Amino acid sequence: MTRSTGLRIIQPGALPEAAAAVKVNDLNVWFGTAHILREIAVSFQEYRINCIVGPSGSGKSTLIRSINRMNDDVAGYCAKGTIHVDGKDIMSESINVAKLRQEVGMVFQKPCVFPKSISENVLFGMQDLKKLTVQERLQIVENNLKLTALWREVSHRLHDKAVTLSLGQQQRLCIARTLAVKPKVVLLDEPTSSLDPVSSRAVEELMLELKKEYTIVFVTHNIQQAQRVADHLVFMCNGGVIEQGSKQKLFHNPEKELTRKYLNEEYCDC
Amino acid sequence: MSRELTNRVFSTATWFAAGLCGLVLFFMFAIITWNGIRAINFEFLFAASRNFGAAGGIFYQIIGSLLLILFAALICLPLALGTAIFKSEYLHNARVQKLCAILVYGLNGVPSVIFGIFGLIFFVNVLQTGVSWFVGSIILAIMMLPTVVLAAYHAINSVPEIYRESASALGLNRWQVIVKVLLPQATSGAISGLFLGLARAIGETAPIMFIATAFSGIDIPGSFLDPVTSLPTHILALAQQAVDARALENAWGASLVLISLVTVFSTLGLWGRMKLKTSSLR
Repeated sequence: MTRSTGLRIIQPGALPEAAAAVKVNDLNVWFGTAHILREIAVSFQEYRINCIVGPSGSGKSTLIRSINRMNDDVAGYCAKGTIHVDGKDIMSESINVAKLRQEVGMVFQKPCVFPKSISENVLFGMQDLKKLTVQERLQIVENNLKLTALWREVSHRLHDKAVTLSLGQQQRLCIARTLAVKPKVVLLDEPTSSLDPVSSRAVEELMLELKKEYTIVFVTHNIQQAQRVADHLVFMCNGGVIEQGSKQKLFHNPEKELTRKYLNEEYCDC
Repeated sequence: MSRELTNRVFSTATWFAAGLCGLVLFFMFAIITWNGIRAINFEFLFAASRNFGAAGGIFYQIIGSLLLILFAALICLPLALGTAIFKSEYLHNARVQKLCAILVYGLNGVPSVIFGIFGLIFFVNVLQTGVSWFVGSIILAIMMLPTVVLAAYHAINSVPEIYRESASALGLNRWQVIVKVLLPQATSGAISGLFLGLARAIGETAPIMFIATAFSGIDIPGSFLDPVTSLPTHILALAQQAVDARALENAWGASLVLISLVTVFSTLGLWGRMKLKTSSLR
């Protein structure tokens, strides 16, 4: 992945189109006989917050979980189509799934910290931990906690159990743990749905900071949240993509009536 | 019958059942302690038995019993963890899983004397090991296996699915997920099951009587193929000399020591199980 360079005049709140970090083509997913995703064709831009919105059951989580092949472990899962991450076909048989998941990190809806200390949680996913000195490990912990704006809150109690943190802090710790593995893409599956408004805002601000370094794909039910943080928006309904484009386009000038109704929180058949 | 009366009848019946169990256990402990405490002194605990147990102490019987169950634990724990992880993580076919469960539960229901007979035929007669404490440990390990496998399996199943997912999402492969997420949880469960298994195994007479123990004249075994003396077989031998008052007193004393060891192992097992339940709820 290369970062786009050069000066451009940007409208306030709008970012120029960027190269696609993740490209999904003709993706169909089944769980047993249930056809969950239908002919999905979307692209997620690098160094942007790509937001997937849509009602419950529209296939948002299934789509996001396809990008790091988390669905592979689900019984009855079957997929057809292609997904390219950084130009690599990740649906290929030859792909190393564990390595893919290091490159495409994921944070789940409910914060899940392991029953270990805060610092051990940050280092949990790192592969060559034994080769690092204590000082190097501490540096990694500090860097990633600073990235997630947790350092000031927990620096004096790194050896405390992670479960002693508030839910909002736990979710930011989960993000720090994901970042410690050095992914290129970060998938966030409704990361604020179990948090209070203040903690949700903290995670939103964190995403805005993280998009400078990472490509973010973010699933949310919350239209206002999408409006606040998204750069690129994908609207899904009944397992299909209805419309996608910049946030400005979808919120102010959508092509489909269904998109307009859903984003204006009006009743729709979706 | 009105709803209130039914409730009262059932409530009384459960209190009665629980009370009866507690009372039986209390009287058993009380009688053994009352009769056995007179025999307990320093010499009884730390001296070798003499005159076929009618004199002296039970030191080598305690050592023999602990040796048997220590090695049984060392053999049983890795086998049980491996079986539980295989059943939980690698055995995806529902029918084979059910068959595996039937085998484990079935093994749990085998009478202990059958294990003894199996050990006698297979190890002592076919493999020509002779009467050996190590063979006794193997047989006790097999006997404890279902208890420990089930405890470890339930501990693995109590690990929330989100832990597995979160670990996989960080790029850990299946083996790393097992080692870093499941094994710590399974080990604590298996150890709690192990203590409950040991509590049962240390009191068993039938499986070790023919294959691992001698009734007297034995001290610390010099090799893996030597026999030992153990508390249950010693109590059995003393009980057969019931006409000798001193032998009978020693039998009560040995019973008190044995029941104390059983209580220690049971308490450790139950404490581990309760701790596991609390940590899995967190």
